[in-house]
Amino acid sequence: MTDKLREYRADGYFAKFDYHWTMAIDLDRCTGCGACVVACQAENNLPIVGEKRVRQGREMKWLRVERYWDGDYPHARLNFIPILCQQCDKAPCEIACPVFATYHNQDGLNAQVYNRCIGTRTCAVYCPYEVRFFNWFTYTWDEPLEQQLNPDVTVREKGVMEKCTFCVQRINRAKDAARDEDRRVADGEVQPACAQSCPTDAIVFGDRNDSDSAVSRKMRDPRAYEVLKELNTAPSVIYLKNAREPLHAANGGGHHDDGAHAEAAEPHAAAGEPRMAEVESAVT
Amino acid sequence: MSISVFEAARPVFTGLLVAVMVVVGAFVGHWAHGAWLNDHTPVQPIEFSHEIHAGENEIPCQYCHTWADRSASAGVPSVETCVGCHKGLTEVRDKPEIEKLFGYWERGEGIPWVKVHDTPDFVHFRHKPHIRAGVECQTCHGPVEEMARVTRRVDINEDLRMPWCIDCHTEEQVANGRDCLTCHY
Repeated sequence: MTDKLREYRADGYFAKFDYHWTMAIDLDRCTGCGACVVACQAENNLPIVGEKRVRQGREMKWLRVERYWDGDYPHARLNFIPILCQQCDKAPCEIACPVFATYHNQDGLNAQVYNRCIGTRTCAVYCPYEVRFFNWFTYTWDEPLEQQLNPDVTVREKGVMEKCTFCVQRINRAKDAARDEDRRVADGEVQPACAQSCPTDAIVFGDRNDSDSAVSRKMRDPRAYEVLKELNTAPSVIYLKNAREPLHAANGGGHHDDGAHAEAAEPHAAAGEPRMAEVESAVT
Repeated sequence: MSISVFEAARPVFTGLLVAVMVVVGAFVGHWAHGAWLNDHTPVQPIEFSHEIHAGENEIPCQYCHTWADRSASAGVPSVETCVGCHKGLTEVRDKPEIEKLFGYWERGEGIPWVKVHDTPDFVHFRHKPHIRAGVECQTCHGPVEEMARVTRRVDINEDLRMPWCIDCHTEEQVANGRDCLTCHY
């Protein structure tokens, strides 16, 4: 067992992937509309847990759009970053699981096997991205909502952990279709629900092993970075940095107190700096 | 006067004995539930006989279960498929079971067949790759053409459980056949 784990953790192991599914999220394009969140919820049979459970921190959301404020109110700007399971190649959760319910498969996916999971929740503790969710209850769908459950996805029961799967049901379907024609899955053939629903095409999904794929090109972009890279988890989700100038720089730099701020902001507005105008309209 | 260790530890032994009995009982009960207490041969709304159709008349499986080589689900034929043949078969038209069939047909209802082979929600079995790989229907479903009423096999070693799947996937060297995500997602 230890030997297997050591082999698994060794450098170079991850070059062996057949496909290496990767997602690139362009934060410059992300408008924070939340379409991906809704699409994910619908595609993957995620329950609506209700207000009470959300307050208890038991929300189920494989994909969430986090907000970050840039600058101080009222001269502030909102930045968004969609956070989902990063499908880390060196995933902390995988070492944590005592029953190997989460493991890495040959396609570079961080798998979660519901029927093997015994619900220790250790993986959720180990996950630095906070993207694992535990079924505290067996959630049900009121009629007629159960009719819209996706038959390709398991309806999870009480006591198992779950997380983003990169819409593995769609990947499997595409691989199945490709196998019939005796070819590899083409670039753009698989689209997770979030990528499909994104109105600005901020989310791109594909095979990293194919150097011509859209996602590989995105990865070569100088704006590309990984979230919490310093933890050395080797995530499979690549973010493209928001290239807009930070707000405080546009403002003349630094933090202002209220009086000074009004004075400093006025000439900018008079000069008709478009960035400021954008901010004003966004705030009001 | 001596103190017996065994005397002192009697409650512990009793507790252990009860625990062992509970565990053994649970195993036996679970097995019995799987082997006998489940209905492996459910009564269907129409006493349809695969023995007559697939056995005596040698109708190929995929004549009715059309979708087996094209879809995840093999599909249950529509009432139209049944009536399509039986309209012309006047010699069996007045049999009571055929009367039932034409009853459904005239009322425009589907036949509420009872599922015999069912996998749990977390198992995604797809017929298509198996049929295309040349797996016989009988490999998993048993000799359906000899069954008057379809029954699911109950042999503990040959039951449709995960080891059964894995054994075949290993023997046939299915690509990624032992990856959990092939079936569980």
